[in-house]
Amino acid sequence: MLRKTFNNLPRFGQLCARQVRPQSTQVAAAGAPNDVEPEDISNVEERILKHADYFQVHNLFTVRDLFNARVHYGHKEGSLDDRMRPYLYGSRLGHLIFDLDKTAAHLRDALNVAAHIAFRDGIILFFNRNALNAQLVEQKAREAGEFSHTRFWRGGIFTNANVQFDAVTRLPDLCIFLNTQNNVLTQHTAVRDSAKMAIPTIGIVDSNCNPNLITYPVPGNDDSPAAVELYCNLFKEAIWRGKRKRRELLGLPPLEEGSSSKDRRSRSFVKKN
Amino acid sequence: MAQSRLEKIGTIFTRIQGLLRGGAMKAEDKPIWYDVYAAFPPKLEPRYDRPASNLPIRRIFYAEDVVRAKLHKQNRPNETISLTDHRRNTQSQQFVQLYENLRSQGALDEQRIYETTLDLLAEQRQQLRSEERADDNLGTLPSDELETNKSSLLNDFQQAEEQQTTTPTSTPGKAKKEGVGINIDSLFKD
Repeated sequence: MLRKTFNNLPRFGQLCARQVRPQSTQVAAAGAPNDVEPEDISNVEERILKHADYFQVHNLFTVRDLFNARVHYGHKEGSLDDRMRPYLYGSRLGHLIFDLDKTAAHLRDALNVAAHIAFRDGIILFFNRNALNAQLVEQKAREAGEFSHTRFWRGGIFTNANVQFDAVTRLPDLCIFLNTQNNVLTQHTAVRDSAKMAIPTIGIVDSNCNPNLITYPVPGNDDSPAAVELYCNLFKEAIWRGKRKRRELLGLPPLEEGSSSKDRRSRSFVKKN
Repeated sequence: MAQSRLEKIGTIFTRIQGLLRGGAMKAEDKPIWYDVYAAFPPKLEPRYDRPASNLPIRRIFYAEDVVRAKLHKQNRPNETISLTDHRRNTQSQQFVQLYENLRSQGALDEQRIYETTLDLLAEQRQQLRSEERADDNLGTLPSDELETNKSSLLNDFQQAEEQQTTTPTSTPGKAKKEGVGINIDSLFKD
């Protein structure tokens, strides 16, 4: 009933229709492309939030998959961060073991959020500082049509972006950390910087990490290539589900899967004109 | 950007909420994650100062650990294990399985069960090894070729020996001509 009256209001669509990439100055300046899109999309965005699991991310994995990918292995007891205690199942002869039921619940939350952000055409940035998995993460981020940062983090990439890049910069809308540590001792600076810049974060937190500043922490092993590959594949698929749905609702042809970042660049270029 | 950069105060959500409520940020400038966060808040607030818990860490032990410890104390494990192989049981897994089987049958005391299990395991491994050997001998291609090579060499020797016995005065050149190619005289000269 209420929805009906709202739909009848002529200016409601204009009031509520968010611009597609609100922080992007180019889009705001051009203004025109919004007319091309059906006004419905912002209403759809509102509506699907009421659905508990609109993108069906719960069927992406099972606890058995997590177990086979060695997600349950933590570090040794000595390196435990006390904030990680609630996520542990126990200690097997000095090695900490994660409670995979809790991990699965957290991971499903995180996947759901990633899918929603992708649906809303957000920019997603993957992080990883483990040299062993860097290539894998970069490749998977490219396949998802998103971005990755796996090298040394120069301070101020987020906090001083406009000066560093010499232009008004749009920051990512979601940061996914496949490990949150720089090395065994220090946390990745981007965790703090994302919190400063009000960017939500998803992070795989191992037993020696601090989950406090991570918006959606996922307790689990962040070192094994098998585990990291599983996370990458899951996030990739969740992101694709969001993107596919968006294009479907907008009546656009589906994107080619496994497309590179080149496609994204061309996409934003199209939007600009 | 209008927001506060003090990440130690509140959460990203409460900071943006304050800006929206106070009118410092307009509704259309609202970040795209804001509604998603509101609809699916994290299980715990992502506050910097969230206190650490002091839950005790449970020790994970199983009933069969007692006998497993005994096994490993008395027999140093020297097995090579492939971590990617999920089908094959390790020796200690096989041991525990056999041990549990025997114990469920009852009738024996712990020490006897332990010893009989070890014997059974050794027997099993012996059997497995002999089966493997039989498999090897049964003839995959490369080993077959090796066999024929060997036998042909042996045949050559035998032929050469026969010739030696039949024509003891034959010269090395003559033997070569006959196509055998091995002269026992010259072979063991030095």
